[in-house]
Amino acid sequence: MTSEPANTPTQRAVENLAWKLRRRQIVGSRATALETLLVLRQVISKSRFSSMEQLVTIIRAVGRRLVEAQPKEHSVGNTVRKVLHHIREEYHTATKGTAIESSSGFSISKFVLLGQPRKQSAPAKAESKGTLKENDPDDPDSFARSLKPVLMEAIQDVLDELETVYDNVSKSAPNHIHSDEIILTLGMSKTVEHFLISAAHNRNYTVMVLETAPSYGGRDMAKTLAAAGISTFLVPDSSLFGLMSRVNKVILGAHAILANGGMFAITGSLLAATAAHEHCTPVVVCAGQFKLTPLWNLYHEYGALDFSDPSQVLGFEEGSLVDKVDVVNPFYDYVQPNLIDAFITNDGDHPPTSIYRLIKETYDDEDNEL
Amino acid sequence: MAPKAASGKEKLIDEEDEVLQAVILADSFDKRFRPLTRRTPRCLLPICNAPLLDWTFESLALAGVQEIFVICRSHAEQVKNAISESKWSRPGSGIKIVPIMTAKETFSAGDAMRDVYTRGLVTSDFVLVMGDLVSNIRIDEVVRVHKERRKTNKDAIMTMVVKESGAAHRTRPQGDSSVFVLDAVTSECLHYEPVSAYPRTAMTRIPREVLESHPEIEIRNDLIDCSIDVCSVEVPSLFQDNFDYEDIRRDFLHGVLTSDLLMKNIHCYVAKDGYAARVKDTKSYESVSKDILSRWTFPLVPDDNHPGGHVYQHTRGNKYLASDNSVSLARTCKIGNNTLIGASTKIHENAQIAGSVIGQNCVIGAGSIIDGSYIFDGTVIGAQCVVKRSIIGAGVTIKEKTRIEKGCLVGDGVVVGPLAVLDPFERLSMRRDKTAPVEEEEEEDEDSDIEEIEANQDKTSSILGKDSNAMVWPHGPFDDDDEDDIAAYKNQRIRRLGDNGSDLELSDEDSESSDEESDESSEYDSGNELPTSANTSPLATPTFDALAPPGQLQDAEFVIEVAQSLERAFAEGHSVDNAAVELKTLRMVSNVPLTRVREAVISAIVEDIKIVDGALPQRKEINRVIGRWGELIDRIGGVDAVETVSLLQMHCASSERFPLFGQILAELYQADIVEEDDIRAWHKSPAAKGVGLAGGPTAENVQRCWAVGAKMIQQFDEQESESESEGEGESEGEGESEGEGESESEGKGESEGKGESESEGESEGEGESEDESESEDESESEGESESEGESESE
Repeated sequence: MTSEPANTPTQRAVENLAWKLRRRQIVGSRATALETLLVLRQVISKSRFSSMEQLVTIIRAVGRRLVEAQPKEHSVGNTVRKVLHHIREEYHTATKGTAIESSSGFSISKFVLLGQPRKQSAPAKAESKGTLKENDPDDPDSFARSLKPVLMEAIQDVLDELETVYDNVSKSAPNHIHSDEIILTLGMSKTVEHFLISAAHNRNYTVMVLETAPSYGGRDMAKTLAAAGISTFLVPDSSLFGLMSRVNKVILGAHAILANGGMFAITGSLLAATAAHEHCTPVVVCAGQFKLTPLWNLYHEYGALDFSDPSQVLGFEEGSLVDKVDVVNPFYDYVQPNLIDAFITNDGDHPPTSIYRLIKETYDDEDNEL
Repeated sequence: MAPKAASGKEKLIDEEDEVLQAVILADSFDKRFRPLTRRTPRCLLPICNAPLLDWTFESLALAGVQEIFVICRSHAEQVKNAISESKWSRPGSGIKIVPIMTAKETFSAGDAMRDVYTRGLVTSDFVLVMGDLVSNIRIDEVVRVHKERRKTNKDAIMTMVVKESGAAHRTRPQGDSSVFVLDAVTSECLHYEPVSAYPRTAMTRIPREVLESHPEIEIRNDLIDCSIDVCSVEVPSLFQDNFDYEDIRRDFLHGVLTSDLLMKNIHCYVAKDGYAARVKDTKSYESVSKDILSRWTFPLVPDDNHPGGHVYQHTRGNKYLASDNSVSLARTCKIGNNTLIGASTKIHENAQIAGSVIGQNCVIGAGSIIDGSYIFDGTVIGAQCVVKRSIIGAGVTIKEKTRIEKGCLVGDGVVVGPLAVLDPFERLSMRRDKTAPVEEEEEEDEDSDIEEIEANQDKTSSILGKDSNAMVWPHGPFDDDDEDDIAAYKNQRIRRLGDNGSDLELSDEDSESSDEESDESSEYDSGNELPTSANTSPLATPTFDALAPPGQLQDAEFVIEVAQSLERAFAEGHSVDNAAVELKTLRMVSNVPLTRVREAVISAIVEDIKIVDGALPQRKEINRVIGRWGELIDRIGGVDAVETVSLLQMHCASSERFPLFGQILAELYQADIVEEDDIRAWHKSPAAKGVGLAGGPTAENVQRCWAVGAKMIQQFDEQESESESEGEGESEGEGESEGEGESESEGKGESEGKGESESEGESEGEGESEDESESEDESESEGESESEGESESE
């Protein structure tokens, strides 16, 4: 079942986003997550449902449409899964009065957690308790009416989490970066940028930024960091290995964190991580929790790398070469879990080996296949 | 909170009342893809398993176009159905697509544009593209630039998108490139010239006006013309006004650039990044396919945003397989790089496929070799076949052990083989079923062709096999409407798939070189900004020689026309404005250079001066005519006083009004049509002395005219010194240039301490008026003396 055709403005919003994802008009994991969340909020607020199953079906249908439109933007699916998880939690709180403390048991991630407790879902609203009645034949809308404010709150929670993700990730920055260290990073990652800048408030350290061809995001990164008063070096990609012996820590951003503890990250990350591995330099990945991805293109790792056009590497005007050279220009690298030492998320720090646990806590298993 | 955000979103959609419109000309107006296009319009031919039109829609959607008009002519019903069945007509696609069926009489892009105008389709600036475009250029950026420019310059009516490519690029059509002359700063297109491969265009002519008004220009032959034009609403109306415009480039662009009536500008947008190309012919079909497979069109690539809505899995080496697991690949088959295989296709043992696109539901038999070929949906290829660089239509059956050489086009539904052997560049289509009911009227014009083809079947050397239902299309020039030219045919050949034109004897036309590529690169592409003189100096080209005779004919007619129209104007006393407009129109009609117009006008004016006895009446007569009509010389478009003088000289030299030359010149000077500097400049030029003229009375007269000019200049010099150092003695300051004279007179004024001289200098107006009166006297006496002298000599 897809959402009913009467929902044309909603439908249009969903299609609109699907097209934008297909056409790559929205890129980047955070931007896509935000857009998805906004569309989901619109869908939930406009749709009519009289039971939990119906609501879940509607959201899943929307999620499936969006994920199919662009399977390479993993955070779209992640956001949908997260919303479903929160909705279920809210629903259980509302009906049973107490949330099923699914995440309160023993957990390695809890064990590793550095101080900040997970944000607990707010206790249910008093007025909605008890009055909730599914499939009421007299008033089919009553279920939706009573649940909707709670759902909106749940989505708002997710939204808040997205909006504060940089701050939360960078909270622990001073614990990871020490004075007089030399940090190596690459690409333009907002999370890493915030992390480094927040560490610079109490530490005095040096950053080396790789240019990160062919997107050259590193140049922008170096500019921002230098503007924030951090002593910054912009170095060509080729000198990565030579510099690695002087580097104390490699800090990377991620596009998606996979359940096996590996990640997709901008091209060059694999190179940097391998070089770091060779020098036994710790590799730390900064990323928001919305990048945790339970499902990805496992058997076609190559195809998931998102190859963009060759013009960044070989100019179109090099006419005579175009016919003779096959250019492969992947946008992302797959970095294996054994090359990564730690993930710093807005939900504490985790080793790659416990990511699966984190994913289990964040999403419901039944949503893995949307 | 939520409803508020939602309403905000809707409002955002409403806010964009300025809808970006696009017009797609979905008809190619040529027949390069036949026989593939016999049953399907070209825009519905699949490229990488999606109809071309869908790629075009997707390209436009990427640019944020919201309303698209598709102008279709041939197989219009098919196009319409395809649009209504496509994903675009589903709600939520965000794009409104309106198919417009034009009349059968629409034979060119120009006709289609006139149709756009009469239907009033467009309301604001719109994007004009062809129905065979594949692009990922941000057209919205081009539109923004265009609108920005329109704010300051209302005459900038069109912006053409061109893409830089190297000298030899597979996507740059060899036979169909063009030379763009651009202003280096504003990238205004100043001149355009198409380059044809056969006969080779070896030179280009750049009009002098271009060099005069633009200090820095770029002459470029490395641009791919993407045929993406951002047009203002005026453009369709211009087509309406000029009913003879057919091609957008050759006629419209050329017309606008050469017209000095319209005063419109066309700009180019040189796209630095992004990709855009048209599928104009089978050769570009191949190159665009390759570009898509090697991801130049990203994000418009099979595994990402396939316009046909198929989902493909991208694997190492740019191999794309339909990702619904319906493709069955035999264990021993070999799939090479840059290959796309559609859903439900079966590849049998030991088959080898490289650089090819295989449609959906195809079968490739065991041991077959498919190399660089494009196979449409539902085609079955038997065992042990070889297909090289060919396009195989939909539903074709190729039976076992058939060999298809490069460049073949096999139409839909053909059956060939077994054991068939096709020569290179063979074109096959299905033999018509004699019992079938009469086909749609659309086919009528083709029927005669086909009958002819059927009649000539025995000539071919290809073996079609015993089960074949195919007929072979003839090689060589077809007797199509205007393509019955050998040159046109050879030109076409270069654009065929797999044909590099190497066997064409290009050298007989152009002895300098025979190699296409090296020649082109050395001539145009070695430096984009060649010194302009190098490009303009050699004038004679084969192309232009060919055009010369009709041009001369027109010239003669034109002179007569001008004389008549001016005669009428003189007789009926038209205003100068009206006469000027009339002349401009005449010029437009007969397409002659400005110089010819000026020449004709001057001669007409001179001839209008009646020869009267006596110096004073003659002077009055000249005064009357020049005073009344002299202005016209400068009103015909462009002021070039030096040329005016030399034309006057030439005319007078061969006219019975030769004696009046001095007087007329003086009169022109009085009327401010000719300035002193102009006369000096004319006087210095070698042509004024009659250099290069053969002997005879004319040359003599020319020399005498020059002598008159010399006297005049002498007088100027005298006057100058006179007026500047009045009362100082007339003999001083002779032959001195202006600046020097001035400084000297100043110096004198100071040294002698005369208060008078200063006041003299201040009241310049007075001084000038004195000058004039004096010069008048002088020139008068001059003229008289001349005429006297003349009569003596005669």
